[in-house]
Order: sequence, then C-alpha cells, then structure tokens
Amino acid sequence: MDIERLKPHFPWVTLLALGALVGTANPNFLDPAGLILLMADIVPLFIMALGMTFAIYIGGIDLSVQQLANMVTVIATVYLAHFGVGVALVALLAGGLTGMISGYVTSRLYVPSFVSTLAMGFVALSIAKWLSGQRALHMDATLRDINFAWMFGNTAGVPHELAIAVALLVLAWFLQTRTTFGRSLKAVGAGELAAVASGVNVDRIKIIAFGISGVFAAMAGLIFSVKLSGGDAHLANGFLLLAIVAVLVGGTPLTGGVGGVLNTAIGTLIVMVIRAAMVYLEIDATQQQMIFGLVLIVAIALTIDRSKLRGVVK
Amino acid sequence: MYELRQVDKHFPGVHALKSVDFTVKRGEIVGLVGENGAGKSTLMKLIYGAYQPDGGTISIDGRTVRIQNPRRAMERGIGMVFQEQSLITNLTVMENIFLGYESQFVTYGVIGWRAMADAARRQLAKVDLDIDPAVVTSRLSFAQRQLVELSKVLALEERVDGDLVILLDEPTSVLAREEVDLLFRIVRDLTERASFIFVSHRMEEVLELSDRIYVMKDGEVVDVVAHDDAEIDAIQHMMVGRDVDREYYREQKQKPYDGDRVLASFENVSLAGRYRDISFELHPGEVLCLVGTEGAGREAILRTLYGLDSPTSGSVTIRGERVNRFSARGGVRRGVGYVPRERKVEGIVNGMSVYENITLSQLRNYAYGGVLRIRGEKALARSWIERLGIKTPSENTDCGSLSGGNQQKVVLAKWRSGGSDIMLLDHPTRGLDIGAKEDVYDMIREMSDADVGILLVADTLEEAIGLSHTIIVLKDGQFQKRFDGAPGAKPSLYDLVHHMI
Repeated sequence: MDIERLKPHFPWVTLLALGALVGTANPNFLDPAGLILLMADIVPLFIMALGMTFAIYIGGIDLSVQQLANMVTVIATVYLAHFGVGVALVALLAGGLTGMISGYVTSRLYVPSFVSTLAMGFVALSIAKWLSGQRALHMDATLRDINFAWMFGNTAGVPHELAIAVALLVLAWFLQTRTTFGRSLKAVGAGELAAVASGVNVDRIKIIAFGISGVFAAMAGLIFSVKLSGGDAHLANGFLLLAIVAVLVGGTPLTGGVGGVLNTAIGTLIVMVIRAAMVYLEIDATQQQMIFGLVLIVAIALTIDRSKLRGVVK
Repeated sequence: MYELRQVDKHFPGVHALKSVDFTVKRGEIVGLVGENGAGKSTLMKLIYGAYQPDGGTISIDGRTVRIQNPRRAMERGIGMVFQEQSLITNLTVMENIFLGYESQFVTYGVIGWRAMADAARRQLAKVDLDIDPAVVTSRLSFAQRQLVELSKVLALEERVDGDLVILLDEPTSVLAREEVDLLFRIVRDLTERASFIFVSHRMEEVLELSDRIYVMKDGEVVDVVAHDDAEIDAIQHMMVGRDVDREYYREQKQKPYDGDRVLASFENVSLAGRYRDISFELHPGEVLCLVGTEGAGREAILRTLYGLDSPTSGSVTIRGERVNRFSARGGVRRGVGYVPRERKVEGIVNGMSVYENITLSQLRNYAYGGVLRIRGEKALARSWIERLGIKTPSENTDCGSLSGGNQQKVVLAKWRSGGSDIMLLDHPTRGLDIGAKEDVYDMIREMSDADVGILLVADTLEEAIGLSHTIIVLKDGQFQKRFDGAPGAKPSLYDLVHHMI
C-alpha cells in the first residue's frame, strides 16, 4: 500500500491510538464528563488554530496570532466598561484588520508571510503593552457577567464555550468547502500559478485568508480574557506553538492545499491528549514546550509536500 | 577519443535517445543540431553526467567509463558551458572559476587569495580576457561572463590527465556579432587544448565553426555531415524530416474564417525585452499561429493578450474595446481562455478534482452570494466529460491523476464551458501521445466551426502549418513574415525556417 494514500488517515488514527494509550494507562481519562471539561479548556487554542488553518492552507503561516490574542485581552479589559458587549466587535475588527495588513504585505509587497506576520505580531504586542501600561489588568466582575456570562454557561451538560467552538468549526468548514472563497483558497494552496492563470484574484484571497486568521485569533483572545477575567500583554503566551502543532498534526501541511479545518479539529484533540498524557506522566510544565517543539518538527517532516519545494529550503 | 556507442535513454512515455552513436576526436569541433525535442539536450546531459544511459556504452580513449554525476564528468575532463550561465553573480571571478576546487589554495583552513588570483589570471589568459580576477561577476558584461565560464571549464586542464571535451550550449544566443567572432576565434585557438561540442539554433554559426555536424531528429542521429559538405537547406530538411500527413492535422476540416469580424487585435504592440511592434488581427474561426524559435516572443504575445503581461506600448483591442488594464481576471471576463504550456503547473490545479478545475475560472456562474452550487458544477463537468470524451473515473477524481491528454481536455473544457471564444493555445500538444494529439486537433477544428478565434503556438512546425489559417513568423521579438495557409496552399517548412533563423 502506498504511503501517499494512507497519509490522509494518519491524523485520526494517531488520535485514536493516543487516546487508547492514555485511556489504558489512566482509565479516568476516558470519563465523558472529564473529557468534555478538557475539551472546553482547550477552546481558545482551538479557535486560534482554526483561523491559522486558513493561512497555512494557502501555503503561508500566521505567526502573529498569539500576540493578536494578547492585544485583544487588553483591548477587551480596557474597553469593556466603555463598549459593553460591543467590545467583542472592536476586538474582532482589530484582529481582522491586523490580519489583513499582514495579508496585504504578503501578497502585494511580496514579503513572505512568516516575516510579515511576525512583524505584525510585534506591532500587536507593543499595542498591548502600551494600552495596558505593562500591568496585568482585571475586568470588573459585574460588567463581565452582565455582558459575557453567556459564554461560560452550561446547557444540558454542554459547556457554552464548546458550543461556540463547534459553531465556529461549522462556519469555517462552510467557508472552506461551500463558498467561492473556499474553492479559490484551495486553488491558491494547491496550485497558485494555475489559479492566477484561471483568473482567480489571488491577492484578494490571501488578504482575506490572513484576515480570517486574525479574526479567529481575536475571538480566541476574547474568550480567554473573559474566562480569566483580565487582560495582559503576555496572557496568551504559549498558544502559538500549540496552534501550529494543532494545524500540522491535523494534516494540513505547511505547503498547503490539502487538509483543512476538520483536520485542525482532530489536530487540536491530539494536542489535548498529549497534554493530558504529560500531566498524567507528571512532566513538568517547563518541559512541555520541549515535547511540543519536537512533535512540531516530526509533524512538519511527515506532512510537507516535497514535490512543491523544488529542492530548495531556506 | 570520446565515444558514445548505441546509447539509449528512456523517460516515462518517451524514448528520448535511440541507439545514438557519437564520437569526438582530439581537437575537433563537433556541431549538434536538431529541432526542439529532438534529443539534443538529453544527449548533452548524458555526456556531462546529469543523466545515465539505459543502454550502450560511453568510452574515453577506448576505455569504457561510467559517469555518475557532473563532478565525475569534470574529473574525466568533460566540462559544460551552460546556456543559462552557471556563474554565481555575487561571487568574484576567481571564486567562480575555482568554486568547489578551492582546496588547492588552502593552508590551515585559510584561502590564499593571492595564489587564487594568480591561478585565475592564468585561466583568464587562455581566453584572452584581461580583467581583475577579484572583480564581482555581476559587473561583467554577458560576453565576458561567457568567457569566464569557458575559462572555468578550461581550469580542468590542470586537474585531469588526458584531454578535455567542452560542451557549448547555445553560447552565442545573447552575444553580438563581434562577440561571436571573438568567441569563435578563441574556441578555434583552444582546439589545441580541448575538443568542443557546439550546440546552437543558429545554423550558419554551426556550419561556420564545426568540423563535423550531427543532425538529430526524434531521438536519433539521422546524419553526420562533414564541414565541407554541409548545406543549410539539406540539414534543415533532415531536421524536420518526414512528410506531413494532411489527414493527421485534420486539414480536410479546415474551413475559411470570417474575415469581416475581428475578435482581437494588436496594433504596434511592444513589450520591452520580449517583442517589438507586433500587429495582427484575430478573426472568428481563424487559427493564427505564431512561429519562431525559443525566445522569439511567441509566449509573451499570448500572455499579453490574456492579460498576464502588460505591454510597454501599442494598443490591444478585444471585441472592439481597447484594453487598458491588463490582468488575467480581465482576460477571463473578456472571454479569453488560456491553455498554458506548463499544463501541470498553470493549466490544472493538481490536487483539485475534475469539476473543481472546470469551474475555477467561472466560479461566479455557479454561486449565489458566494455560496457554491456544487450540484450545478458537477452536472456541467459531467456534460463536458461526455462531450470531449475525457477519460476519468468520475468528475470527483483528482485532476492530477489523469493522463496528460485528459488533463489538456479538462483545461479546454474549463474555457469552453465558460464561453471563451478567444483561445490562446501554448504548445497544446506538448508531451501528449499521438492519439491524444489527434484529439486536440479535432477539438481545434470544432472550436473553429463554433467561431472561436485561436491564437496558437505549436509544438512543431508541421503542426503549425497543418493547423493554421494564418502564420506569423517572428524572430528575436520582431515580425518577419505573414503566410496564408488555405488547405492545399500551405507554406512549406523551408519557407518558414528561412525566416525563423
């Protein structure tokens, strides 16, 4: 059997195998109520990874998501009193705008996305530091509950944040598979030159893709901020690596064109299982990123499409 | 001294070299000519070690050798002067000359620049080039770089025992006449040191320089001509070879076009560095073929009409409207379809299904408010699969897994289903087998019947003559001559070649 044909099945097989492994070692892990809590816990990361999927699907990457989320936690905390629930809109706009600037810089100014998004990430970080005065800010508990309590309720045993995640997944999946934008996205990821030669407005598609990544990162930041009831320029640190890992182990390669948002859902669950396993194995928190760094390298090496690289990697 | 005997080379689906015999004697200059695709570059790659033969032997001074890679070829005294120059432009001349062979100047890990400069000067003297070896290569003229490249290869002399064989691949294509004369004089002087294999499209130069000329066609050496017996006409006849079968190109289906209406026109259009002052009109039902050698500007004209390149001057008119902003999207909107030469890179999206490829240029027709009507797309794809006889398991199959001919049909279906009536075909039969080629010819005739105007860059001259109503010959980006080609009154190959070279 040819390995290329098996490749699309790697992610879910990995997920089941890891789940079974951790479940055998620690039967408590498979307790449904516990699993749901674990999943609810990982929702901000998932949303960020979902947005990142669009950037990676076209063969780019968005390194600004973590700093964007940081910025949004500060924006949400500072302006909650002023805008009420409308602060969500402000946050999403800020995220979308930052992403679209990255997209513009990438597509029109020919700056590779890893540089443009890294740069925009620092811009966002700086804004966060400036707005917060480099302090950890706290939300007013009453205001938070009035405006955002709906995010964290529980209906029929399902945490609302999980419902939000599922709704966003459905939305992203619809965008990816059922719209002209999603189809163009796939064409840009799988064969950009052919997309250009077919008259697809590739620049616009790229700008929108990075814009979506920004909006989702902002959404992640907002939920995180409300959940922790505060904002700080470093609140979401540690998310970036995990978001990239989630997309890549899910089976969307850095070269783009295959995989997609459902893969990212599986990838995020894999990250969740690995995290749970590390807790069970009592691996120190300081060592976890080491493990994920290695997982990332393995995932990239396994998924990348070498035929697209033309022999040169820098 | 250097000899290939009965050498064969296969690629998937292509027998690129068929039992080729080839010898180079000491101090000889051997010419190598043939059409595109005749096997010249395969033969050269085999000689300098980039390819391995599937059959036959390579021998040097009577001993059979195996040459695994270009580095080993150099160790055997075989060097290549590349057409696309292989010098690294941000290194100095001497660094380029000794790239990969610096160790001779190294003491305790440090390069002795003075020793290298002296050695480089000795190499440059061989080609009469008086420049500072420490100058950065990008500051040299093209001709100077060519000579540096030659001196780099000549540096092999000191490293290998035995004789040198130097391949010159289209060395004159960018040189001015005086520079060509200089190069030829140097090459002749160097025959005391090395033998040369000279590959060029410019027939008169091959005749002028070579002691013997190998003529290749369809992967075979069809003749070897000595310098004194060589005649351009006879050689060209051998290069293009076989008689043209009129049925093959569907000439009986060629009907006169409608000369009153104009679909698209060029008026004194120029694109800097590509073509100059080109004018033509394309009519419904017409197949207009652009003929010329590689780099004559044919592809650039197609890409301009489609919108991928913006011309520097002149006016392009499509359906009576002057084009002001050039973009591929604009081209699609104006009803222009583009079948690119690089089918797998620009023609289809490898990794998307047949139906996704067919609707890619016309997504708006299959969507309400940005939401796709996938059922409609698939129905369209099924009807075109049937109409063009595309061999695919279903409309959901990955287009990249189809054969070349079927991929080409998908590309044609994409444009025709979108209603394009100006079709730009760039080498539409490249890499297709005979049956698939005939399918493409049939489709070209059908499109003409449906009043589509076709601008064609053909894969071979026979194809150009067989398919077209009108032929425009280009050379170095400039218009040379226009031929009318009604069935039975077509121009001959020699008419065209005469104006091309």
